[in-house]
Amino acid sequence: MELLPALAISASGLTAERLRLDIIANNLANINTTRTPRGGPYRRQVPVFAEKLQEALKPAGAQFKGAGVEVAAIVEDNTPPRRVYDPSHPDAGPDGYVALPNINVVNEMVDMITATRAYEANVTVLNAAKAMTLKALEIGR
Amino acid sequence: MTPALYVLEKALDAATLRQRVIAHNVANVNTPGFKRSDVSFEEKLARALGVEPGVELYRTHPGHLPAGGLELTPEVVPDNSTTMRQDGNNVDIDREMVDLVQNSLNFNFAVQQLNGRLAMLRYVINEGRR
Repeated sequence: MELLPALAISASGLTAERLRLDIIANNLANINTTRTPRGGPYRRQVPVFAEKLQEALKPAGAQFKGAGVEVAAIVEDNTPPRRVYDPSHPDAGPDGYVALPNINVVNEMVDMITATRAYEANVTVLNAAKAMTLKALEIGR
Repeated sequence: MTPALYVLEKALDAATLRQRVIAHNVANVNTPGFKRSDVSFEEKLARALGVEPGVELYRTHPGHLPAGGLELTPEVVPDNSTTMRQDGNNVDIDREMVDLVQNSLNFNFAVQQLNGRLAMLRYVINEGRR
């Protein structure tokens, strides 16, 4: 049994949570974006996390096939855009309403905190695995 | 190999496996529908050492090895019984952190014991050489 896979598993958690944080930052940065290449307002993006498993079982001692987490997809939130009455806006429709991104700051902040906390938890696990690896090097010294 | 070294080796194996399982649980703390896993080892150890009575064959002499020998392979057990959140995920981060601390201590303990045993062997060998 080796400890290095444990480091890789924690690293996958760190990568996933950081990507989530990136996406949240992108959502917040685009909170007032009314123009996208596809046309229409920006739509909130959400990462989809999936459990990652080892594809092929290794011969020895590989009864556990967990390999951390991966981001399976980044999907768009399909809730309708926020509509605000502002006839002076260049992207306002004929009725004077502007379609703004379907982003709620409070949701994003809460997601940000969960992402940060999960990131920290992964760091803690990583440090523990590191300490264990160093301790294992002391065997027989 | 003496039983003590065997047990310590298995304990290190179990701690390593548990570290991986905990890392996997924590990495998936935000994965919808994920169910945590656990490692069963201490119960097996207690049974093998006779601390906890298990189903076992009658032995005519206490020095005889139990049937099947010391079977101490750690096992991963998925925990499907609980749900922590709306999305079906059942990782309890507090519990994982406590398990993590406990596991690190177990690992350090096993390494220290192993080192003690090895030091003793070395001592015996060196003294015999004189």
